[in-house]
Amino acid sequence: MIWQQLANGISVGSVYALISLGLTMVYGILRILHVAHAGIYTLGAYVGLLSFRLVDNFWLSLFAGMVGAAVAGYLVERFLYTPILHLSRIAPLIASIGLFTAMEEAFRIVAGPHTLVYNARVGLGDLAIGSFRLTETQVLILLVSFLILLFLWLFLTRSRMGLAMRACALDLETASSFGVNVSAIIAMNFIIGSLMAGAAGVLIGVYDNQVWPTMGSIPAYKALAIVVLGGLGSIPGTVLASIIVGLSETFFIGVLSIPFPRDAVAFIAMILVLMFRPYGLLGKA
Amino acid sequence: MRKQGLLSLVLAAVAFTMFFVGAPVAAQDTVKIGFFAPITGPAAADGMSAKNAVELGWKEVNDGGGIQGKKVDLIVYDDRLKAEEAVAIASRLMERDKVVGVVSGSYSGPTRVVAPIFQKAGMPMVAGYAVHPDVTWNPNTKTSNDFIFRNGFLGEVEGAAAAEFAVKDLKAKRMSIIFMDNDFGRSISAGFAERAIKLGAEILSKQMYKFPGEKDFRPYLTTIKEGNPDVIFAAGYYNEAASIVRQAKELGIKSQILGEEGFDSPKFLEIAGDAAEGVIIATNLDRDDPRPVVQNFLKNYRSAYGHDADMVGASSYDAFMILVSAIKKAGTDPKAIRKALLETKDYDGLTGKISRFAQGEVVKPVQIQIVKDGQFRRRAIIDNPEIITPPMKK
Repeated sequence: MIWQQLANGISVGSVYALISLGLTMVYGILRILHVAHAGIYTLGAYVGLLSFRLVDNFWLSLFAGMVGAAVAGYLVERFLYTPILHLSRIAPLIASIGLFTAMEEAFRIVAGPHTLVYNARVGLGDLAIGSFRLTETQVLILLVSFLILLFLWLFLTRSRMGLAMRACALDLETASSFGVNVSAIIAMNFIIGSLMAGAAGVLIGVYDNQVWPTMGSIPAYKALAIVVLGGLGSIPGTVLASIIVGLSETFFIGVLSIPFPRDAVAFIAMILVLMFRPYGLLGKA
Repeated sequence: MRKQGLLSLVLAAVAFTMFFVGAPVAAQDTVKIGFFAPITGPAAADGMSAKNAVELGWKEVNDGGGIQGKKVDLIVYDDRLKAEEAVAIASRLMERDKVVGVVSGSYSGPTRVVAPIFQKAGMPMVAGYAVHPDVTWNPNTKTSNDFIFRNGFLGEVEGAAAAEFAVKDLKAKRMSIIFMDNDFGRSISAGFAERAIKLGAEILSKQMYKFPGEKDFRPYLTTIKEGNPDVIFAAGYYNEAASIVRQAKELGIKSQILGEEGFDSPKFLEIAGDAAEGVIIATNLDRDDPRPVVQNFLKNYRSAYGHDADMVGASSYDAFMILVSAIKKAGTDPKAIRKALLETKDYDGLTGKISRFAQGEVVKPVQIQIVKDGQFRRRAIIDNPEIITPPMKK
């Protein structure tokens, strides 16, 4: 049963990673907390669901959800953050929170307050070994997350644009003075982060078989805690922190049977890290 | 042009006067009944269901000649599942609308807040399905709210009935319990556990999950799977219920899932899909009850709204009809209505035959339903008086 709980925890953790990575990448370059990222995640789920109902193919709907989220992420960067970047850091934060609230209300008005069903047949099948069982949706989450993380890693380490992006994260002005097209890099940054959030939205929609207007409200703050836990701006740190939070939530509930609100785990972990390692698990001091 | 403008001004003034002077005159020949439900907001699905069902009952009463020749005027308010909204509605119903009785089609939150207000004002209220004990009971003075009546079951009663069914009918000996962290979840699972232990069953695990917000029940269910119980008693509303049964099926759990009235919604069947098949629930509506009051309601609801009625709608409809029948007997004086409600005996209700009200709590059989071919069907009826008589408070 410990293996089963491990599978439960890593599945949840993988989705946390997909959501949190966009947040940490945006912080890494622009030093702003992109709260509306959770709205992009919800949008991805709705776009995915809508296209699933239109074309009845899960993989196409996953693609549509990712693209929809990426477009939205780009628009947010271009028309919300870029015009106010010269202001103090609190301005984009407030704008971001406002946008997130507005998005939640928009989802409610457009799609209705009710939970919608994302009953997609993925076509992967369960993976059962004895009493251990990786359910179809868990196979899906692990597979998609692994592929996305692999692409992200290859992109950041093997491509010129990835190199430019890492340079921007180190120092925006120096990178700019070496001829890096900073505004293109920032846009790319939002697009990649939003692609992952859109994928997370679709995956959770299928995993829970539910899409609803406020599905982003818990990820909105949990992802912040995860990003801080991993070390603000650190990509490997965020992935590690996500898996740790997913696993500890699952083990608190399932193995230790502590009647504990699971959403508190990320924050307790964050507080502990801030006390003993304020720059996060893999952040730089 | 000018003349025409003057004419419309005069007409408007006449209409205006007629509206305000005319209204009180009209009020005298109608019987006003107040109603509130969470028609928008997070519980909108249940609120709409309650409103639809009560409006159906309202039309039936008026088509049948009203109450003692007077038409019934149903005054509907949306509490948006907010207690503060419900308080405003309570005073509006009494001061402006001058109703003679109130029906709650809402959850415990709004209902328990307005109950002491109506109690103090001597205004009778019948609650459709709100489960909190403090609806009919004042915990500060330790006295019964004797103007307030409840048509739904207390959590303890419904939980005990589910345990009675599990042990005596399903012959289950080993049980696991999973329930939401709210009053209803705690009281119904306590009622279940108490009765199950009394009947000699063993409780393997008892897990409480966060409410609202929990979507991933796999960690809980994985623990339950390890114990391999005969029955899993699960408490939750339709979203949680659907997630629990779906994820249990995904994880290959073979134990019988036994739920409660929170499962009793078309939304549960929709979200859970195939996984709902075979799930058994304890609830407050028997679709296979041959009495005309049940079959006519189910048929009329379906033809009026295009989808099937649920427990929430049926319970609210019943609450409205119970109040109407008391007014028919006693007239429009609130004290006389309350007396008629207290004297309710063998009432032929949509959600079962009500033998009486005890401290405002309904005494009637609990329905056990099973999902067959995507529909709730009769499985058993629990009428053991030891179970269905609510515990008296002192």
